[in-house]
Amino acid sequence: MGIVLVGTSHKSAPVEVRERLAFAESRLAGALRDLVDCEMISEGLIVSTCNRVELIAATPKGVHATENAVSRLYDFLSRFHQYDLSPMRKHLYHLAGPAAIKHVFRVTSSLDSMVVGEPQITGQIKEAFQRAQEAAVVGHELTRLMNRAFSVAKRVRNETGIGSSAVSISFVAVELARKVFEDLKGSAVMLLGAGEMAELAAKHLLNYGASRLLIVNRTFENAVAMAGELNGEPVRFEEFEKRLPEAEVLICSTGAPDYLIHPYQVRRALERRRNRPMLLVDISVPRNIDPAIGRLDNAFLFDVDDLESIAEANRAERKREALRAEEIIEAEAEQFFRALAEGDLNAVIGAFRQQVYEMAFSELERSRRRLGDLSEDQEQALRVMINAIVNKFTHPVIKQLRDSEDGHSPYLSAWRDLYHRDPSE
Amino acid sequence: MVILLVIALTLYLAGAFYSIYTFATKSKRPDRDLKLIIGLGFAAHTAAIVAAWQEAGHFPVISPKEVSSFIGWAIAGYYLAVSRRYNARALPAFLLPLVYLFMFVSLLLPARAEAVPRMLESAISASPVTQIIFPIHVTLVIASYAAFAVTFVCGMMYLIQERELKARRLGANSERLPALNTCDEIGYRSVTIGFVLLTLGVATGIFWNNQRDGRYWHNDPKEVMALITWIVYLFPIHYRLTAGWRGRRAAWMSIAGFAVVILTWLGARALGGYHVFG
Repeated sequence: MGIVLVGTSHKSAPVEVRERLAFAESRLAGALRDLVDCEMISEGLIVSTCNRVELIAATPKGVHATENAVSRLYDFLSRFHQYDLSPMRKHLYHLAGPAAIKHVFRVTSSLDSMVVGEPQITGQIKEAFQRAQEAAVVGHELTRLMNRAFSVAKRVRNETGIGSSAVSISFVAVELARKVFEDLKGSAVMLLGAGEMAELAAKHLLNYGASRLLIVNRTFENAVAMAGELNGEPVRFEEFEKRLPEAEVLICSTGAPDYLIHPYQVRRALERRRNRPMLLVDISVPRNIDPAIGRLDNAFLFDVDDLESIAEANRAERKREALRAEEIIEAEAEQFFRALAEGDLNAVIGAFRQQVYEMAFSELERSRRRLGDLSEDQEQALRVMINAIVNKFTHPVIKQLRDSEDGHSPYLSAWRDLYHRDPSE
Repeated sequence: MVILLVIALTLYLAGAFYSIYTFATKSKRPDRDLKLIIGLGFAAHTAAIVAAWQEAGHFPVISPKEVSSFIGWAIAGYYLAVSRRYNARALPAFLLPLVYLFMFVSLLLPARAEAVPRMLESAISASPVTQIIFPIHVTLVIASYAAFAVTFVCGMMYLIQERELKARRLGANSERLPALNTCDEIGYRSVTIGFVLLTLGVATGIFWNNQRDGRYWHNDPKEVMALITWIVYLFPIHYRLTAGWRGRRAAWMSIAGFAVVILTWLGARALGGYHVFG
């Protein structure tokens, strides 16, 4: 059983090519049934996102006989899209065996993504797998492959920092909040002003468990409108100071030309909070929160440059962590391929022995008449003898098969030629 | 019994390595395995202590060898209790090497380096009251040390994490350590628990003094140091409740407090007095 793959991605092809090869949701089920012809391709899976198209397939022809399966995938792709692929070949890639397995693991673990480590792709592949299951075109092999791919992705996520840090400004705010508060359950976020980035950050904070959103705006109507949209509570600008102590996180993004929030206000708020810490995020330029506030105990202030430099550092960190992830994937892919090849080999060996047994026993049956009635002991002795002969005969071939790198043995080929039998069939 | 101790030691070592590895690689792996390892080590250790108790016929926390092992036991137990409630990353990476160290030192020390101190003979042989009071007194005091050790580690972690945040960058350390609130909360809970244990420990000590020779207080260095420790820890608790002291100030207090604990534990021995064990 072999794994083959043909694909195109943001790395190999411009969007003009990718869009021609994408599979529309509505046509996916039909495409899957088309793909799996049960001869060259026994199981199939189609991943189609805006950044990539991947055809992942299993071929019954064995781990080392994948060339025909690959060209079958190309044929399918050009037939389905009615698109001549020959001038496009440089934008597509095909992989087989260990390389295909490794690629599937890398893609699933988000190492091949545009933003390395973004978690979306794992979900998209899970969905693609589910669609293939619904179309009943995945069986034992691809299920095994994909389950392993998902567990590798989980391992990568757990053991490396590839997805742990925020690489966009609005997510950095969430990361900071979690550094201060651990989890945001029961906490309140106050949003001052209506900057887009601030709004996004507030949304993320709510997604990560913040339970209340207070929205302050100089124009109360704007606050009301925004509160309706974000499911928050509008607060009048005059009440800002009074309500400030309720907030664990303050996100500030207004067009005001100078400082709106002064140290004495935060000091007072902290006192009222009995020094429970506050996170203040100033996304406005020019800044709206007096930087002197950053020196207060239990107040943690970040401006837009700080957020950007944290995001930048995280991006660099991700690159380093990706190298560690590659090592994990390398090892996992190799292990998986070896298990696959071993399964193939065992099937071949089993079939070979079976055929030799059958030959030997058919000879026994032919000699039965001349042997006359046999006692149970005699019958048993004959069986033992045949077993021993078969073992002696097959041993060197099996040993050579097991010792070979690629599951081939000249002995086996010779045997096939001599007796016109093929154990792989 | 030795075999149980060796098993415990091995498991603690495995746990220490595991937690340091997790710390160094910033792994997000859940610490279920670690809890299992330390849980088994703790069980073996407990069994060893019980066995030693039966064998010796008295509470086996008299010689430095025994005390060292018992401190390791208390910290391991405390870690298990904390980890049930909190996902305190990095905490085991500091505590478990400590546990291992105490155990290791304990195994190196000779079985009975010195004769049982005179005053402790009473603990071993005398009235039933002291036979009960001695284990309680020692367990309470040592358990309070373990809690204070955790407070100390939390204080350090808080200060490091706070410095990273105040510097407005999130370095590797920031990622390894728990959130500020978690450090603060575990630290505060531990200091409260430690304080209660120490209070009871000192109270049982005073009671025992009175039982033994009719005096509540001997001005023994260890007694005085214990009193100082008690007062030092009273401050952060008091001010937290009244003035909302928390965060950085609380962290510094916990570090200062632990310095006094170390002095009480080791220093009092150097100063002499009858409290020379442990």
